[in-house]
Parts: sequence; structure tokens; C-alpha cells
Amino acid sequence: MLGRLTQGELKIAGRRREQLLFLMDNGIYVVTVLLFIVFVFLAPYFFTPRNLVNILISASLAGIVTAGYTVAILAGQIDTSTQGVLAVATVTTALLFEELGFSLPMTVIFALLAGIAAGLFNGVIVVNGKIVAFVATLATQGVMLAIALFLSGGQTITIAREGLQEAVFIRVFGIPSSVWIMFFCYIVGYVLLTQTKLGAHIYATGADYRASLLSGVPVDRVIRIALVISALTAALTAVLVTARAKQSAMFGLAIAGSVDFVTALTAVLLGGFSLFGGVGRIERNLVAVLFLTILGNGLQLMNVPTGIILIVRGFALVLAVILSVLRARMT
Amino acid sequence: MASDEVILETIDLDKSFGAVHAVRTVSWKVYAGSVNALVGDNGAGKSTLIKLISGALQPNGGGFRVRGQETRIGGPAGAFGLGIAAVYQDLALVENRDVVMNMFLGSELTRGPGQIFLDHKGMLRQAHQVLDDIHARIPNVREMVRNLSGGQRQAVAVGRALIRGGEIIIMDEPTAALGVEQTQEVLQLIDTLRSQGKTIILISHNIQQVFEIADFISVMFHGELLGTRPREKATEAEVVAMIMGKRSP
Repeated sequence: MLGRLTQGELKIAGRRREQLLFLMDNGIYVVTVLLFIVFVFLAPYFFTPRNLVNILISASLAGIVTAGYTVAILAGQIDTSTQGVLAVATVTTALLFEELGFSLPMTVIFALLAGIAAGLFNGVIVVNGKIVAFVATLATQGVMLAIALFLSGGQTITIAREGLQEAVFIRVFGIPSSVWIMFFCYIVGYVLLTQTKLGAHIYATGADYRASLLSGVPVDRVIRIALVISALTAALTAVLVTARAKQSAMFGLAIAGSVDFVTALTAVLLGGFSLFGGVGRIERNLVAVLFLTILGNGLQLMNVPTGIILIVRGFALVLAVILSVLRARMT
Repeated sequence: MASDEVILETIDLDKSFGAVHAVRTVSWKVYAGSVNALVGDNGAGKSTLIKLISGALQPNGGGFRVRGQETRIGGPAGAFGLGIAAVYQDLALVENRDVVMNMFLGSELTRGPGQIFLDHKGMLRQAHQVLDDIHARIPNVREMVRNLSGGQRQAVAVGRALIRGGEIIIMDEPTAALGVEQTQEVLQLIDTLRSQGKTIILISHNIQQVFEIADFISVMFHGELLGTRPREKATEAEVVAMIMGKRSP
């Protein structure tokens, strides 16, 4: 059909499409600000320093895991093993710090190494096994959850020893360190994706694997690195979640609340990323995480039942998927 | 600007895939600064021969002489090193990336410690220069490739080949999917490349087009090279007969 359009008509169609895409991509900024304003008026205690810091803390945990998740998505890899990595890393953190008496720095290093190992494992299955990441990581997640279950003996490990929570949640300028860590992750992510050769290769590999391969991009290495980055941020999140809760958070779900694969996916899609890779900007993702956190927080303060909040969040994902598919059809 | 200088030569090149003998002891001369057309029916072995030259496939026998030197072409990177760059039929462009990033894909300019940072300014400058040199009409090099016309895409893909130091540029059916206007644009592009001293290997099904642009016309049939004719000494009837397997007298 496009063949019948004249050059001029094509140009106009192209421009309209680009305008619409611009709206879809940047709408998240407007919607987030609007939502914030609405809650300032509707939700009691919403606009208080204490609650705003709370929002930032919640957002930081979801935000860090989403930052790495974004990198995987951009490389065209839907990493569904996030909860498995969270579980392994939270159990590692609690075991080493509480039961084996490791120092704080060593505990953090080993928890992050566990994350890197999980990412490498994913990479081997996806690249060497030539299995689509979505399926491969679903399977590896099962293995990781089982390892976490085995290591912890199925018990929640409570951390009585002092030092972990205090160190991880030191306030700098009145804002807890996890929030600073989140901003740091996004700055690193932004520089990585927009200013480095690896970033260019991540985008290209996600956007068109074959074309990248033919152009000499080391696609397999790029996919491996993206999966490691995704797992590494999940492990970092696990350390923070464990420190905050002072216990291992089995499956990463119960305590962290909003830290899971589905939130990360919702945020990524709301941020204008393509499920198929190669499209999106990491800074929008940060805003999408804030949007989801504000949504949950505001509704909670308005005393909306948890069930309803979950339904609303579910619809947010549905909407995000629809937007993503619309976007993919347009490009 | 056709010349008699041979820039690339295949020597008894041979390639089989199991029982299929795709390229049979082909000795082909490619002339410098000329448009060397390679024609033949589907399955005649054109694509295989081209892939051997671009390093995408390795021969079972025979070799190459490039600029008078006998050499191996170890892979795509080895071909780039010899100044041979292929523009694939589907162009291998990434739709959702802009013109500059596509032109430099896989050979990005870098700077800084460990060369990990992109040299955006340098790439922008060089992209403009290369596109100007080939008279490409691309108003905005930050435009996504998905918004470009077929002719513009071809220019981007050729620009990529030039950035990689391509002196011998292989174009595989560059006009196959294009309309009349776009086709003219690509033919002009080929002409421009030739006037700048580049050697072009052109695979085409379109005999008329080959007669319009090529300096030398080579015909393959069932894996064999039946012959090479300077364009002015060939007739369409003769070439068509060769494509159908009739050896020229």
C-alpha cells in the first residue's frame, strides 16, 4: 500500500507518525506530574516530607532493579529471572552476614557476585543454547529459586546483627543512600547507553540482531553483558531489600512489595520501551517507576483496599502492553 | 572510467555445499574503477561467488589475487582489510537507529580511556562528508532509517561500506525492490562511485539496467563463469543466450 503513496505523502505520513510516537514516548512525564498533583489534593498526608521520602525509598528499590532490566530489554532480552536472582542474592546476603559473620563489604561483594553468576548462567543458556531469553530465563529462575530455597532451608533468615540496615540506609542530605544509589545507577545507565560503544551495540542488537551481526557487532557478547547487568542490579536491589527488612525476603516479593518482574516490565513498557528491543530511553524509565510508586502510595493513603490497588496496577500493565504493541506496529 | 587494470582476481575458485557444486573453478577478473556486472539465472552461483569474495563463505579450493598479491580472505573482517565491502540485498540496516549510527554500526569512532566512549562529533562530521561525496540526498543524518526512501537507504548502506575503507564495493541486486525514481537514484550513485575511482561489483537480474551502467558484463551458469564481455562489445541477445547456458563462440 505504501508503494502507491507519492514521495510527498510519505513524508507527511512519516512526520505524523513521528509526532504521535513523540507523544507516546513523552506522555509519561505529563501523566506522572498530573498524578502527583491529583494526590496532593486527594490523598491525606501525601504531600508531606516524610511521605515524599517514603515514595523515594520505594521507588529506589523498584528503580534499581528496573534500570538493569531496561538494559536487557534494550538488547532484546526479556529477562524473567529477576525474582530468582533476588531470591538467591537475598539469601546470600542474610546467610553471609548473619550466620557466617562476614564483614559488611564482603557480604555485599559476594551478594553481587551471586548476581553476576546468575547473569552469566542466563547468558550461557540464551546464547549457547540459542533459546529465547523469555523462555530461558523463566527456566533459570526456577533453578535460582530452588537454590535459594535450599540454601535457606526454606526458612526466613532474620538478621539480628547490627550494621547492615544502618550502613545501607545512611541518610545523605536527609535522603537515604538507596535513593542516591538509584540515581547513580540511572546516571551510569544513561552514560552507558548513550555515550559508549557498548551502549550503541546494545541498542543495535535489540533493534536488529541479524543486521548487527552482519555489521560486525559482537552480538553474543552484547547479550551476555546485558543479562549480567540485569542480574547485577537485581542482586544490588536484593541487598537493599534485605537490609531494609532485616531479614531475607524469600522470592523478593513479600517485603519489597513493588520489587518484581511485573513492576519492572510495567515500568519499562510505560516508559516507551519496545518489548522487542532496541527502542527506549532509560531516563523515561525512572519517571515510569516514580509514576507506579506514586500511584500505589497515593491510593494507599486514600485508604483504597489493597486488592483494588493491585487491580489498578494490573491495568497499568495491560495499558503498557497495548501502548507497546501500538508502538511496534507504527515503527 | 573503465580500465584494463585488474584489481581483484579469483583463481580456480571452488565451492560445494554437500552434493551441490555451487561455484566450479571460477577464474574471474574484476577491473579497477569499473562497474563489473555479474549476471545469471537464479541458482547460477552469483551469490555464492560474491559471498566468497566478501569473506562470508570460505572456498573449498582456489584463491584470490588482490592488487596483484595472492591472498586469502579469512572472513568479513579480512575482506574489509583488503578494501572489499559488501552491501547486502536487504542492506542490513537497523530501522530504529539513525543514519549516523547505521553508517558506523560495528566500526564506531571512539575516544577516551580504553576507547569505550563514542566520538559522536567525529561520526557526525564524517557521515556528512561521506554522504556529500556520493551526492546522497539525506536532509537529516539524525533521521531514523525507518523514515528513509529505498534510494536513501542504499546510500546509507554504501556510505557504511565507504566508511569501512571500501574500495571494491559489492552491491547485491541494489534496485530489486525499488521504483523507477529510486532506481535512477541508485544508478546515479553507482556512477558517482565509479567516477571517484571505486570498483563496483554489481549483481543484477535486470539486463537493461546492466547495459545502462556496467563496463564489463560477466555471466554465470550452473556454477561456471561462461565469460566476461566489455559492454560495448556485447549485445543483449548474446548475454541473454549465455544466461540460458549457451556458451559464446
